Amino acid sequence: MELESLKYIWHSLETPPAKVPGRQDLAALLEKRSRGPVARMRRNLIAEAILMFVTYTPAVLCYLLAFDGRLSAISWLFALLAAGFLGYYYRKYRLLKEMECVTCQVKANLARQVKTLKKYVRFYLLAGTAMIPVSYLLSYAIIRWKMPSVFNYPSSPAGQSLYLRLHPIPWWGNPLFWLILMVPLTIGIYYANAWYINRLYGRHIKKLQELLQEMEAE
Amino acid sequence: MLYKVCRLYCFTEVDRQDLFQEIVIQLWRSWPAFRREAKFSTWLYRIALNTAISGLRRQHRLITPTDPEQLPTELQDIQYSADKEEQLQLLYAAIDRLTEVEKALTMLYLEDRSYQEMEEILGISQNNLRVKMNRIKDKLRKITKAVAHGIGKS
Repeated sequence: MELESLKYIWHSLETPPAKVPGRQDLAALLEKRSRGPVARMRRNLIAEAILMFVTYTPAVLCYLLAFDGRLSAISWLFALLAAGFLGYYYRKYRLLKEMECVTCQVKANLARQVKTLKKYVRFYLLAGTAMIPVSYLLSYAIIRWKMPSVFNYPSSPAGQSLYLRLHPIPWWGNPLFWLILMVPLTIGIYYANAWYINRLYGRHIKKLQELLQEMEAE
Repeated sequence: MLYKVCRLYCFTEVDRQDLFQEIVIQLWRSWPAFRREAKFSTWLYRIALNTAISGLRRQHRLITPTDPEQLPTELQDIQYSADKEEQLQLLYAAIDRLTEVEKALTMLYLEDRSYQEMEEILGISQNNLRVKMNRIKDKLRKITKAVAHGIGKS
C-alpha cells in the first residue's frame, strides 16, 4: 500500500472519538498530577527533602537542648549535614527544571534531556560518594573543636609515651584507623551508588540517546 | 490531532488516556509562555510529540518494531477490501511497527505538513527528512503487505 493511499485512509476514514471531553472533563484532567518522568522525579525529590527536614530538625533540637547542652556538638554535625543536603536538593531541583522543554523542537528537547540527565546522574553519584569523607571530616572538626584534650599530647616523646601509658587509646580510637577505613568505605559507596543510579536511570538515558541518534542519522 | 498522537504512540486504552492527560497538562502549562513566534499548529505538534516521544512511559508493548530486511520480499499485493474499518486497522497495524521517530514523521506527512513545518517541529533538516521519508515509504510498503498476510512479531 502506498503512502498516498494511506493518506486518503488517514483523512477520510478516521472518525473523531465518540465522546469529546468538555470543559469540566478538561478541568478534571488538569487537576490530576503529571505522570511524566521529570515531574515524577521532581515530586520524589521534594518528598525526600521534606523527609530529611522532618527527621533532622528534631535530631538537631534534641542534641542541642537535651543533656544540658553537653552533646551540642552532635547537633552541629546534624545541622551542617542538613545544610549540605539542602544545597544538594536545590542543585538537583535546578537541574530537573532545566531538563525539559516541551515547546522546543523535538530533537533539541531530546538533546537537552540527555545532557541534563547525565549531569544530574553525575552530580547524584559524586554527592553520594562524597558524603562519607565529608561526614568524617565534619566529625573530626567537631571533635577537635569540642574535645581538644583528646589531641593535646605532650610535645616531647617521653611525655607522649607517659601520656599513652596513663591514657591508653584502644585500637578503634586511633584516628589513623578511621582514616584508613574511610578509603574502602568511600570506594564501596561509589560502586554501590553507581549500580543503584544505573538501575534508576540507565535505561532511560540509553533510550533517549537511541532516539537522538536516530534523528541525527542521515 | 491529540487523539491521533495518542493512538499512534500507545497500544492500550489506559495508556492512551494517560498520554492524552499528560499532553493536555503540558499544553495548559505552556500556554502562558506561547509568544506566537511559531505557528499555533507547530507549537501544538511540538508539545504533543515531545510528550509522546520522550515521555517513555512503561507500557505493555504488543508489537515490536519490525526491521524491513526481515520481511519476505515476494508477496503479492493484496486486493484491499472496501471495508473502511479494516483499512484503518491495517494502517494502524503498519504504523505500530515503526519506531517512535518514524511514527512522528509519518504522522506529520499524513497530516499534510510541509517539509519546512516538519523541520520546525522536529529539528531535522529538510534534506534529512526527505531521505527518512523515502525509507519510511519503502518500509511501510513492505510492512502493510506483511501485516495483511499476517506476518510479523507480536
